[in-house]
Amino acid sequence: MSVMTTPPPVDAARPSTAAVPRTRALGWRGVLSHWPQYVAIAPFYVLFLVFGLFPIVFSIVLSFTDWDGMGEIRFAGLSQYIYLVQDSRFWNAVANTFIIWFLSTVPMLFLALVIAFLLHQNIRFRGFYRVAFFLPNVTSMVAMAIVFGSVFSDSFGLVNSALTALHVDSVPWLSSSLGIKVTIAVMVIWRFTGYNAIIYLAGLQSIPTDLYDAAKTDGASTWQIFTRVTIPMLRPIILFTVITSTVGGLSLFTEPQVLLGDAGGNGEAGMTIVLYQYNQAFTQFDFGYGSAIAWALFVLASVFAIINWRLLSERRDAPRRTGRKARS
Amino acid sequence: MHPPTRRHVLRGLGLAGLAAGGLAACGSSPTISDDPDELVMWYWNRSASPKLLEQAAKNVPGTDRHVRADVIGTTFDTKLRTSLAGGAYIPDITYINSNNALYFRNEHQFLDMNDLGAAQHADDYYEWKWKLGITPEERFCFFPLDIGPTGFYYRQDVFEKAGLPTEPDEVSAAVSTWKEWIALGAELRKATGSALVNTAQSIYEQFLNASPERYLDAEDTPLYTAEGSAVREAWDTAVAAIDAHITAGIPDARGTDQNAAWSSGKTAGHVNASWWSQIIQESAPDSAGLWRLADQPVRPGNSGGSFAAIPHTCNDPEAAFAFIRWINTPDHQAEAYNDVQLFPSAPASYESGTMKYAGDFFGDQDPLAFFSHAAEQVPESFISTWESVVSGSFTLEITNVETAGKDPDRAWADAIAAAEKALRKRGVQR
Repeated sequence: MSVMTTPPPVDAARPSTAAVPRTRALGWRGVLSHWPQYVAIAPFYVLFLVFGLFPIVFSIVLSFTDWDGMGEIRFAGLSQYIYLVQDSRFWNAVANTFIIWFLSTVPMLFLALVIAFLLHQNIRFRGFYRVAFFLPNVTSMVAMAIVFGSVFSDSFGLVNSALTALHVDSVPWLSSSLGIKVTIAVMVIWRFTGYNAIIYLAGLQSIPTDLYDAAKTDGASTWQIFTRVTIPMLRPIILFTVITSTVGGLSLFTEPQVLLGDAGGNGEAGMTIVLYQYNQAFTQFDFGYGSAIAWALFVLASVFAIINWRLLSERRDAPRRTGRKARS
Repeated sequence: MHPPTRRHVLRGLGLAGLAAGGLAACGSSPTISDDPDELVMWYWNRSASPKLLEQAAKNVPGTDRHVRADVIGTTFDTKLRTSLAGGAYIPDITYINSNNALYFRNEHQFLDMNDLGAAQHADDYYEWKWKLGITPEERFCFFPLDIGPTGFYYRQDVFEKAGLPTEPDEVSAAVSTWKEWIALGAELRKATGSALVNTAQSIYEQFLNASPERYLDAEDTPLYTAEGSAVREAWDTAVAAIDAHITAGIPDARGTDQNAAWSSGKTAGHVNASWWSQIIQESAPDSAGLWRLADQPVRPGNSGGSFAAIPHTCNDPEAAFAFIRWINTPDHQAEAYNDVQLFPSAPASYESGTMKYAGDFFGDQDPLAFFSHAAEQVPESFISTWESVVSGSFTLEITNVETAGKDPDRAWADAIAAAEKALRKRGVQR
């Protein structure tokens, strides 16, 4: 992230241009003379080649083949991708992923902002609250899925018992299409609100206090300070959390898998893109198709990365404008 | 910053050579163990008797080998397939679950145990189980371990409250057809509000598990499109059960809910194999003693049960086969039942009288006699390697009918279309 936000450092270019002629002059001898250093950094690159780069490249190859993970690998041209664009189950998974992403990200970031704002005030037990809000993020998701499964259970769950006690009709949380998505979204919200709140808190602490003092002197109310000072100053931080939430949302897997199993629940209402990929590759042993799904996800993620990048590069000019223009 | 000397370079090359040598060593030896007297076996928790494995760790009787048994955790198939595909770190003996048909496509990865003299032992095992181990090329690659004969579990106390027959014999007599079974469920629903089973899917699946015909034949021809196919009958039975409102609509993925339904009596029955009683005993111990077993309608089926296989890279196939046979003699299968409750695939295990059922899950009823009797009636069937590709479409759609109120005819048409599409994608159909 920090790589993307910071403008290209001018200084960084200088040492490299200076280094080029020297390396050229020494050539291979230059490399060899530094061999202990190369050996020292080699473990990371060797591991990355074997467990990072090779699988990535191999999955591109696989997406053009038909392979059950065991027998011979048959070249299949573009047929996996042609099947993919016509596969209603895949598009259902794409739609599910985006609905769950939207249902979770919007309330989560809003809640996180409010919590961060409150934690930033001078209240008692601040440290305790900060830890408490962050705890869900480090809790085992598998254990939590079981808890959520019991809480949202259709006929035996806490939520429905509470609804019945209030004389409201119980909701089929884990068997209706929307109920499943809401339950997964609630799990995501529960897990990541604290994490985002901590990031917002860091952002809040970096806002100079004289801005607040000036606003107060001008007679601004707390709400005005929040919307006119805090939010605009936090904009890069908010964009950062939107991006991380998008990455997390597009690769949503554990929550639906543990809550609903490999099939994605009733009518595949909880089938996300990554769960579908896992389902095809590791339960149907169709590795060619699984790889094609993975690369389709890559394309989708790239589209979002480009949108985010556009938003960020626009931000780079913002400090030159006046505050009012930046908001419009 | 020293200039490189020849010694430096040589040392570097030596290191690279060592690394390459290490990698080559991995590639050249496909088996796991370097000990020539050791056979490595892969299995999962509770799929073999620890006591027998302890003996085999010292020596496999009749051979000069011993067995090192490695528990492979979850994703067993992925791990086994990966090592077979990579041609390295392959066990000498492997257990395979009831999804052994998945390996039919790659059956030559495993040795034909008929070449090792397996045929002479065939009479010791249920014939239908033995035949499940035979591949489409008529090779015998999968040796019978345990089986899962099925029955109709029911809550005696709930049946009594509903004024239904309560004794196993009476219940069995009252549900000799699925139609009668559904009618009984409807009565139960009316009298107590309890469902008979948790899912329509379980009815659909157990109907097929008790059917001689399944999804595809040995020539990969789909059978489900034919008029009056077994799949269609299973489907119609499940739909009739949904219409009669005897299912609770709690899918398998939600185990916690299912167990709550069973232990509270909101669901008063289940059709499944012998191993299921342990699951419910562990998750809903309060209901132990209230359950009884009746014959399921028409005939019992088989749900689950595993196999042993010898990968083609095995160090010593004779010894590996000697081990598989030794751990599966009727006597040893009886011991395995007493140890880890694996239901024997050898009828003589039960007849020997050494098998002991511990617990009071079924009151005074003897589950061993029940399931042994059921095992004798399981029909022979062929499970196609493509079954796992198509079956999901049908179970998904029957659940849609059950929980989303989808029109059964449309659901059936969608299931067929999805199955055909999946088969075409895998190159099975034109």
